[in-house]
Order: sequence, then C-alpha cells, then structure tokens
Amino acid sequence: MLSALPEAISILLSLEGLLVLTLGTILGIVLGAMPGIGSTVAVAIILPFTLTMSQAPAIILLLAVYAGSVYGGSIAAILINTPGTPQSAATCLDGYPMAQRGEAGLALGWATVASVIGGLVSAVVLIFAAPQLAALALEFGPIETFSLILLGMTCIVSVSTGSVVKGLLAGMIGIFLSTVGGDPILGEMRFTFGNWQLFAGFNLLAVVIGVFALSEVFIRASNQISTVSELVSFNGVVLPRMKMWKGRVRNLAKSVAIGNVIGVLPGTGAATAAFISYAEGRRSSRNGGGFGKGEPDGIVSSEAANNAVTGGALVPTMALGIPGDAITAVMLATLTLHGITPGPKLVEDNPTLIAAIFAGFFIINLLLLPLGMLLSRVAAPILRIREAFMMTAIVILCVVGIYFVRGNPFDLLVMGGAGVVGFLMRRQGFPMAPLVIGMVLGPTLELTLRQGLILTDGSFPAFFTGHPIALVLGLAAVAALLLPLVRSMRKGTVG
Amino acid sequence: MKLKTFATAAAVAVVAASGVAAEGYPERPINLIAPFNAGGGTDLLLRGLAPHFSEAIGANAFVSNMAGGSGTVAASALQGQRPDGYQLAYMSVTVSTIQPQIKNVPYGIDSWTPICSIAASPTMLFVSDDSPYQSMDDVIAAVNAAPGELVFGSSGPGAITHLTMVSAFAGLGIIDDMKHLPFQGSGPAIKELTAGNIQFFGDTELLMKRGDFRPLMVFNNERVESFPDVPTATEVGIEAPLNELYLWGGLFAPAGLEPEVTAKLEAACEAAVASDGFQQFAANSGTVINYRGAAEFDAFYRAQYTANATLIEAAGL
Repeated sequence: MLSALPEAISILLSLEGLLVLTLGTILGIVLGAMPGIGSTVAVAIILPFTLTMSQAPAIILLLAVYAGSVYGGSIAAILINTPGTPQSAATCLDGYPMAQRGEAGLALGWATVASVIGGLVSAVVLIFAAPQLAALALEFGPIETFSLILLGMTCIVSVSTGSVVKGLLAGMIGIFLSTVGGDPILGEMRFTFGNWQLFAGFNLLAVVIGVFALSEVFIRASNQISTVSELVSFNGVVLPRMKMWKGRVRNLAKSVAIGNVIGVLPGTGAATAAFISYAEGRRSSRNGGGFGKGEPDGIVSSEAANNAVTGGALVPTMALGIPGDAITAVMLATLTLHGITPGPKLVEDNPTLIAAIFAGFFIINLLLLPLGMLLSRVAAPILRIREAFMMTAIVILCVVGIYFVRGNPFDLLVMGGAGVVGFLMRRQGFPMAPLVIGMVLGPTLELTLRQGLILTDGSFPAFFTGHPIALVLGLAAVAALLLPLVRSMRKGTVG
Repeated sequence: MKLKTFATAAAVAVVAASGVAAEGYPERPINLIAPFNAGGGTDLLLRGLAPHFSEAIGANAFVSNMAGGSGTVAASALQGQRPDGYQLAYMSVTVSTIQPQIKNVPYGIDSWTPICSIAASPTMLFVSDDSPYQSMDDVIAAVNAAPGELVFGSSGPGAITHLTMVSAFAGLGIIDDMKHLPFQGSGPAIKELTAGNIQFFGDTELLMKRGDFRPLMVFNNERVESFPDVPTATEVGIEAPLNELYLWGGLFAPAGLEPEVTAKLEAACEAAVASDGFQQFAANSGTVINYRGAAEFDAFYRAQYTANATLIEAAGL
C-alpha cells in the first residue's frame, strides 16, 4: 500500500482533492457545531453529493465531514454548554465552566489541540497498524464487550458532579429509557403501551439535546437560579502555550490511546471513549481534583479520545469490511455504490484508493487546526447577540436537527419531554452526563450480557473463567468502584 | 330528503374530485419513503432510483427517511394515509409480511396498494472459510454429535437473516439442538462469524462476499450462476415453504389507490427500473433486479404473506 502513496498524494493534491478536503472539513465543523445535527446526520446530508463523484474524493469528503463534525461538537459544548452530539457531552463538563470564567478562547484552544493530536495519532496508527488492531477487534466477542461496557459504566461515578447518589439515579434513568422498544433478543415490545411510535425506542439524540440544550434554555428562561451567568465572552481560539502543557502530556497520551483502542472495537463508539477517557483522566491526572470545575485536562481527556475514535473506527472498516460505527457503515455503503466490495481484501485489491483515504485522513486532521481557528473567529460575533435571540436560535436548531434525523414528529415530543424532565432534574441538582452514559451504554450492556448468557448456557461466572480479557476488564471495573471508597475511608471521611 | 340529497351530492363531488385528481396526476412532488436510516441499503437503492422515477413520471420525486422499529415506524405512519399517490414507501419482505405478523402494528395484509417490485435476492447459508463443514450433511452430523453446542447468528429477531437460519435448521429438524445468537445488524454478526463465536449465518450473496466465507446452500428455486456447486435448499432436503427465501422489496402506496394512479406509477416504475442509469447503479451495488407489475406484485406479496406465517411459527416468534 505504501508504494501506492505517490499516486494517492497526486489525487489529493489535485483541484478536486483539495476542494473536497477543505470544504468537507469546513462543512463538518459547522454541522458538528450545530446542536442536534451531529456526525451521523452531517454525513447523511453530504452523502447524496458523493454519488456523482469518483471513488477517492467521495470517501474523502465523507471522512472530512466526519472528522470535522466530531471536532465541531466541542465548539457548542464549550461556548453554550450544548453538546452537538453525545460524544462531546463530556467536553461540556469542564469546557463550559472554563468559558464561564472568561477563558472560552483558551478552552477551545485546548479542545482544538487535543482534537488535532488525537486525530493525527489515530491516522498514523491506522496507516501502520490496521491489520494488527483488526485482530484485536476479533478478540472482542460479546463477553469481552460486556466487560468493557461494565467498566465504562463506572464512569458515572466520575462524572457525577455534586452528589454521587443523584448521579447513579440519573444513570439508572438513562438505562431504563434505553430499554423502551424492541427486545434485542426476543424481538418483543417493551414499555411501549401498544404505541407504535415507541417501537423504535426513545431517540438518543432527541433525549441528549433535550436534557442538555433545551433544559439549558428553560433554566435561562426561568431565571430563578442565581448561578446562571451571562453568555460567555469570546474572541476566537487562544492556543495553550508550551509551558502550560507541563504535567499534562501523560494525560493526553493516555486519552489518545483510549480513543484509538475503543474506536477499533465495533459497537462502542466516540461517546463511550470520551466518557471512559474522562473518568480515567479524573482518576490518574495530577490535576484530577479540578475535574468538573473547568480543568483543561478534562477537555483534553474528552476531545483527544473522541477524535482518536475516528481513525480507530476506520480500522475494522478498512481491514475487515465491518463498520466500526454508524458513520463508517455509511462509508462502506458508499464504497459498494462505487463498485467496490468491502472486505478483508479491500486494501489488497485497491491499494491506491486506500492510500489516498489514509493520507487524506491525515491531512484532514492537520486542516482541523487552521480551519477550526478560522471558523471560531467567524462564529465569535454570533455569541454577542442578545441572549433571548441566542436561546431562540438554539431551540430552532434543535427542532430542525432532530426532525431531520428520522423525519418523525414524535422525536420532537421526546425532545420536549426530555427538556422538561432535564430542567426539573437539574434544578434538583441531578447531573445530566450520567443519564446520557446510561442511555448510550445501556443497550450494548444489555445486548452483550444476554448474548454472553446464551453462549455460556446461562452461567455468569463463566464470563470470567474462560475469557482472560473479560476477567481483567471486570476486575478493573470493580477496582474503579472500590478504590475511591477505600481511599476516602483511609482518610476517615466516607462520602 | 334533504339529507339524502346532500349525501348524493357529496358522493358525486367525491367521485368527481378523485376523477379529476387521477387525470391531473401528478401535479406535486412525490415522496419516496425509506423506512431505514440514510446511508443504508434501502436508502441508497431509493436514491439510485429516484432520479429515473422522477423522469419517467414527469414530476419531482424525493427520498425521505423515517427510520425505526425495523421499518415498522414508517409503515405504521403511512398506513391509513390518504391514498393520493404522493406518498410511497419502499418496503422489504420483512417490513411488509413478517413484522406485521409478529408485532402489534396498525397495518396488515390489506393495508397496501402494491405498485411494483424492484429487487429480490435469494439468501444463502454460509460458514467461515476455515470451518470444518463442507456440506449440510456435515452440519447435521455435527449437531447430532454435540446437541446444544453449535450457534447460528442473525441480524436481529424476525430479520430475513433469522428466517434463513430457521428455514435451514427447522427444515432439517435440528433447530432444537442449536443456539440462536441475535446481533444488531449483519455487520456485527459477520464479525463474530469470522471470530468463531457463531458457526453459521445466512444473508444475500452480496453480504457473503464481504468476508472469507463459504456458502453451503442457497434458498433459490435453482442453483445460482456464481456458485454452481452450491446446492439449493430443496436439493438438501428442505421442503416448501421453507425451501425458498428472497430478500425482496418494492414500492407500496396506502390501500385504496385509484387504478389510474396505480397504472401511472407502475409504468413509471417499470421505465425507471429499465433505465440505463438504474441498471448501472444495480450492477455497481450488487442489486439483483426483479421487476413485477402491480397485479403480479400484489399476488406475489399476498402469497409471501401467507407462506411466511409458517416460517414465523417455526421460528417461535
């Protein structure tokens, strides 16, 4: 494949190649920054345009929109406390407090640099280690995935700002919401009360946008909480200086690694990676104590991991023909339309195309830095409009975005309901991130638990006796729960 | 008296209005509904068809997505709508004939005016390349030697992949000695087939070619050209109605569409499917074109609906 690199680069440096790279990244950032659009919808919007293009530019356009949208999600998360997608929900936790302190530009700077590094490293890993990592993906059967998700669930404790009990409750509500709809093993309908609108369950994006964005609007409108501040001041991205990185590099490296590995495993995704990385950062970073109060390491943990997922998700897609997430599934379908059968021989049969895709992906991540800075400068004046107009605009964007996803008016009701419930819960001091974690991880946790029980004939202990990877991850989950408890007991302060 | 006159007048008005509607049809854009997400197989097929359909019918035709509930959300929303010919859905064998028999959805066999079928591919049962099973006889022997050990996968309960497995193993009388592991979509299932957590899977030829897999039988009425050595289910000893299984799909309108409008849509569909552009699209995407006109498709759809009741019973759904 490396021998095809010169030809691949000539494709990328043609006029069409450059246009696709730049415009795709810009579109991705803009669409990702809009609440309710998100990566999947952004890619779906662009898809029809790729049908008339030739192979390499079509895939590169989709990749640029994908990578751009994952980064773009952080802009709305930091500036208006509204994650464009579930994968940037963890970025809100420290990004918005930083912005409230008047450091919005610097918060975005951390997010930008972390995103670029996460994306670039994942591109290098993709180019040089795709076959080896694909073998890792095959090691993760239902039982191993279950243990990983179990470990992910322990993040709820880390992201519960304020009360852990309230965080656990919010997490349980999230898991419960995810059980509505079709039973994944038996196909029967659960908690739908015979209403066919609920057959597909609650739309994740509608709930996330409701509990984060709409509830924020309600809180500002109700104006009863004294902690509500004015809109943040922002004049463009401020990149962190070299010396500010002191003591933060290890956390960055760890976050990139977590994003890469989780991206490789099908059925997990960027939101899972961002939360797990955030929790790990809080546990091990030397600045962990400040997480949730506007600590740059929190932003770095989340953003480096979710951008590293993009390259990771391409590993099983390109090496095995198995999509890593919903977006890479769209890319595989696009390849099929262009007459290419995805599968284990994809790289062997199309060396130039794959080299162009991999090199293009690297360039896209490089472009994130200048384009991100440019676009946020353009976006800065928007934040200076009156708060009432801003809130109205957010509501309109949410409504349009959510309706666009599935064309189902019912999703708007779900979003509105989630907004009201989120508003009430936040007023009582419930953190919202655990609810999102519960809803994101709940379905995979249930599916893999029940798949595992089918494979082991109903024996839960057999999950760990015959599966070393599952055992290690399971022990890590137990440790993640018990260690903070032990530590605080030693200090003599339980709580 | 007065009431009767009014009723007559109203009836005349309705007939007249609908007659006019059929004559002027189409005068608005036509919505082609994909009951799955953008970027999926159904969505892409409709987007490939839409420009040619639009050209043939002489009106704008656009694709919209309404995903969820294995396609039942869109179908439930479309049933009972005014059959004016401006809303059509592309429905597969599972959305139109299987889901309504296993779920409590508001539509059934009589909810639709079938317009045309567009594609149909037989399904195949396949194993991983490094699997020890060379034939279905090997599989039967292995299952009898170790009952309850071997696992077949599916892309979800009630999906065509599930029914393929049920047809195979219920047809051979060994399903009670096997385990079923459902996944969410074919992608994760073929990953586990490669990894060895499941031993058998069934899908169309297009999907089988995604990995290093070996087909053991095909649910077609004759052997397929690309695999002349692979026996049909009938040859292996599976009896009707479990011996043939196709992943088919076509355009449906709500029940009660006027015959004139149906005829116009049918003609446009035939022209679109036959167009060079769509033929090229089908060749690229591996779509097996299978056109049927409205009357033929209606009969086929109803026969499938009844035949699949047997399958559903065998699957225990």
